[in-house]
Amino acid sequence: MHDAPPPERTPLSTLLLKSQRRTFLGVDKQKAIRSFFALNSSAAIIVLALIMIFLLREGVDFLPTYRRELTTYRKAGLEFCDLISRPLAKHQQLCSRLRRAMSASLNTITQPARLRRDAAYQQMREVEEQTRLQRAVLTNQLALIPAPTPEKLSAARLELREATRAAVNRLPATPFLTPAENKQLKRELSLLSPETAELPVVLSLLSSAYIRVDQEAHQSFKPIVEAVEMFETAPDSLHELLDGLKKQARATKELALAEYAAANHKPVDFSGRAAQMTSQIPEISARIAGYISLAEKASSALPDRAGTAEATELLQEVRELLPIHLGEMKSAAKLLPEWRHDKRVTYFQVVVAFFFGDAWITNSSWQDFFGFVPLLAGSVLIALIAVLIATPLSVLAAIYTNQFAGAREQDFIKPIIEFIQAIPSVVLGFIGISLLGDVIKDVSEWSWLQWVPGFPIQERLNMFNAACLLALMALPTMYSLTEDALNNVPRAYIDASDALGATKLQTVFRVVVPAARSGIAAAVLLGLGRVIGETMVVLLVAGNRIAIPDFSAGPGVIFQPAHTLTGIIAQELGEVSRGSSHWQALFMVGIVLFVISLLVNWCARAFVRRFELSKS
Amino acid sequence: MLSRWIISTLTCLLVAPAIMAQSTLRIRGSDTLGAKLLPQLAEAFKKQAGKVSFDIAAEGSSTAFTNLASGTAEIGMSSRKVKPEEGAEFRAKGRDLQEFEIAWDVIVLVVNKNNPVSDLKKKQVLQIFTGDIQDWSEVGGTPGQISIYTRNTSSGTYKDFMGLAMRDREYGANSQKMAGNEQIAAEVGANPNGIGYLGLAYAHAPGTKIVSIDGALPSTAEVKKYPYARPTFLYTNGTPTGTTKSFIDFCHSPPGEAIITKVGFVPKSRAK
Repeated sequence: MHDAPPPERTPLSTLLLKSQRRTFLGVDKQKAIRSFFALNSSAAIIVLALIMIFLLREGVDFLPTYRRELTTYRKAGLEFCDLISRPLAKHQQLCSRLRRAMSASLNTITQPARLRRDAAYQQMREVEEQTRLQRAVLTNQLALIPAPTPEKLSAARLELREATRAAVNRLPATPFLTPAENKQLKRELSLLSPETAELPVVLSLLSSAYIRVDQEAHQSFKPIVEAVEMFETAPDSLHELLDGLKKQARATKELALAEYAAANHKPVDFSGRAAQMTSQIPEISARIAGYISLAEKASSALPDRAGTAEATELLQEVRELLPIHLGEMKSAAKLLPEWRHDKRVTYFQVVVAFFFGDAWITNSSWQDFFGFVPLLAGSVLIALIAVLIATPLSVLAAIYTNQFAGAREQDFIKPIIEFIQAIPSVVLGFIGISLLGDVIKDVSEWSWLQWVPGFPIQERLNMFNAACLLALMALPTMYSLTEDALNNVPRAYIDASDALGATKLQTVFRVVVPAARSGIAAAVLLGLGRVIGETMVVLLVAGNRIAIPDFSAGPGVIFQPAHTLTGIIAQELGEVSRGSSHWQALFMVGIVLFVISLLVNWCARAFVRRFELSKS
Repeated sequence: MLSRWIISTLTCLLVAPAIMAQSTLRIRGSDTLGAKLLPQLAEAFKKQAGKVSFDIAAEGSSTAFTNLASGTAEIGMSSRKVKPEEGAEFRAKGRDLQEFEIAWDVIVLVVNKNNPVSDLKKKQVLQIFTGDIQDWSEVGGTPGQISIYTRNTSSGTYKDFMGLAMRDREYGANSQKMAGNEQIAAEVGANPNGIGYLGLAYAHAPGTKIVSIDGALPSTAEVKKYPYARPTFLYTNGTPTGTTKSFIDFCHSPPGEAIITKVGFVPKSRAK
């Protein structure tokens, strides 16, 4: 017997759910919902990949473009000129010191006369400023064609005279002038009018007195004045020659650019033009030697002592720095014959020029340089200061709310700290410009705070100002993450500590905080990541000076202005033409910024992983 | 009858966007011109000519040429002449850039009100902005490090000042790049050691003082004698027609020149 196999039964569950199993192209509802959710989660990944591709596509061409520009820079002989003019720039720094020493010396004699003159002028300016409106009315009336009626004119004159008198009466008497002089000055100032061109008599007397004293001072400090003048004019003949060479190099560069822009342009004879420049090497060397001997002569003519101690110190500095500068000039002269216009610029050199270049010069009429270090230095320094300020604040606040505060206090503090995140960064920037800058500046002028390095500060917009605001912005992130880390400490640790008889303080600082150590570190790192990518605040508040901060100022360096990676992109990207080297350079900066953020985040994750291991 | 109705509707539909596009003038470029002058000229022109709308964005002279080249602006405003490479780009695209000088702008040097220095020589200005002179005592002021405030690199004023005052040398590394005229005025007003440059229209900011150059104070009467005066331009893509042409004509007319004077520029016809 062969029984027929039992008819295949559909499982009960299928029967029950049959009505819901509609498929479309082989996908049922369950699958569709699942893939919809998967799609949402992958959107972020896709966008990230697109950003990376976009950044790379725009930025990757930077290296060849910059290489081409540096090649032109070399071929056209601009580099040749810079071999000399770079070290020669030091001459002006030395001059600056000498001029300062000279004016400090002269000042010892001229100061009283100058103060008297300046005080009087200040008063006149004050009156003119306060009566600006009335003066403008009268000037306009006088310029009218046809001339206005005499009544109108005299009305305008009367109004001006009254305003002037009122302004003069408001003026405080200056302590630099005698009461009689003050009185006379006021009398003369109240007659001020745009119709009379000559100065009030007191003023011209004070001016001529100052000029007389100034001449005397020049006489009594004759040696230093003459030495300074000799030093200032020492490189004149070298400059003259160099200017000619530079003109030539710029012309060659323009030809090279034209050749690049239009393929059918006739090729530029670089070697011929370079030979023309190098043929001048003997002349350049001779003029450098002339400059060196003149500078040395001037330096030996400098007197040992100047008018003030500070000035003497400046002279001493010049005497020390001059041999170094002259040595640099000599070695520059030796480099000249070795220079070749057709030496290849390697990609390695281009990468070095970008990542280690100390000058970011754009829109220049000589040569654009894209050196990354000043921007990086600004960004990193600002971020570090911000994290340094924010870390104690956020960590201590988190420890307090998590461990010590009662439930009601927690409900009060946590939302407030988290609310800071909601403040738009541009608003914070405004606060930095209009409020915090002034506050920091005023505080820095308090006499009992003068021991703080960098005080009194000169710039309202500086790295410290920006860092304070950035710290505020990073605070909520760091606070929340630290709190999470503290929450994640296993209850058993605390119970064990309590069982051993530890006090609350001991438990917190010996058990809870050490256990949350890596979580806290991750919080700090993520705060750093938040700060380094922030743009608006640094653009508005950091002062935008593209130079490596002067670390010789010690800790006071934080009160200097700086520019940042994010700020430069925001400031310059809007105006450069698409595809130019400048545009690509900004994208390179973007790529580096992106990489830095990735690294910081990756480090933070690594810390968190360690933290989770220690929990198990 | 019906077909005629359809045709006329269609024509209306087709022509309407064209007319609308015509009556919007997009102006891009220099913020020296775009901050005050062009908006006021545009307002006055609207009152006179009626149905025109303006779309003005001022983000630096370079944007005048990028926008004209890409066809996203009818008029470019620039506080400098077109650069040769920018001109070459236009010629390469087969376009013809037209230039109209509209007004003279004066770059005024300002220092803090409490600074005793009130006159500088041209050479001293050059040395200050290139970073050669670093201390006020070198030019007869009270000792203190000079803080230099400049416009940012995209601004036409930044580039023009290099040409007018600095013999094309670079700005010193200690210069600080500010977002605009107002910010420079604010910083110079707040810093006793500050120096910066502004357009004449911005020059009477509180806390600042105008410095004369070799004894010459900037004045509208003798603008060409002041060393740091420069012409400003409008550019169009090809010979202007329609609204663009009538707007440019308006800028050169007496009512236009009155506005130019009011805002603090010197009209071309009065620049001596």
